[in-house]
Amino acid sequence: MNISKEKKGDILILTIEEKEANLSKSEHFKEMVLSEIAEGETKLIISFEKVEYLDSSFLGALVAILKNLLPLNGTLRITGLNADIKNLFELTRLDKIFILKDNLETALQDFK
Amino acid sequence: MKEPSSIQIGLKIPKDAEGILAYVHEVLELLKAQVTLDEDKIRKIKLILVELVTNSIKHSEDENASIEFTFNHPTLTIQKVDKGLQIEFAGDSEQIPFVELDRTIKVHLSESQPHHIKILDPYRFRFVDNYKEGISIDFLPEHFGLYIITLASDSFIYQHDPDLLENRFIVHLNL
Repeated sequence: MNISKEKKGDILILTIEEKEANLSKSEHFKEMVLSEIAEGETKLIISFEKVEYLDSSFLGALVAILKNLLPLNGTLRITGLNADIKNLFELTRLDKIFILKDNLETALQDFK
Repeated sequence: MKEPSSIQIGLKIPKDAEGILAYVHEVLELLKAQVTLDEDKIRKIKLILVELVTNSIKHSEDENASIEFTFNHPTLTIQKVDKGLQIEFAGDSEQIPFVELDRTIKVHLSESQPHHIKILDPYRFRFVDNYKEGISIDFLPEHFGLYIITLASDSFIYQHDPDLLENRFIVHLNL
């Protein structure tokens, strides 16, 4: 799957460059992010601004990523969610677990 | 708008994940032409369809698996139907056919996938919201599909017909 990476200071910004965040891509996404964490990245922003829909497999991958980050005192911000995806986080009450930000700027400010 | 009791969609379930988005959009257009849907219901139907199709791609071996739609005011019913053996739960979960009815129990669909279900009859149960008391990262599963359908719908039932060897995932949504 197509993910772009950008580093701002010690913050790693990952942008999902796909319209569909689904089961055919979730495993690769999870492994890729977990390997970044294993290499020492603990301040992450994941942007979904290009994504039209996100399925349960991808949601599960995000849970796995957060479970790996928390013991390392890592930080994850999720940004760029459209109304449908935001609704999915609210419906599943994952908006109480993940920190969701409207855009990249506000996500970056959170690390200051 | 005319509100029929059965809805003709006539689309095949996609065989791979890349076809899900187009399928959902096509179904919604056909549904909107036949029943009145507000934004909230459209959102819920999208979530339900994505997860039913994902479940089918992941688990169904039946080439002729289908999703059927009916509408009896005010309830839209979406059913995924496939041929095959009944759901087998993981670990030491109770299995179908259930003996004691009218109880809520916890079952595991996989090791990391606990669900609460209300037993309706030996071959039928309703999924219930297992995180009503709040959600904790420590107990969070990594498989959310059926849980999303449970939350997005007004009722989500599984039933197995042992004579026809047929499984039905039945979703009710009050419009």
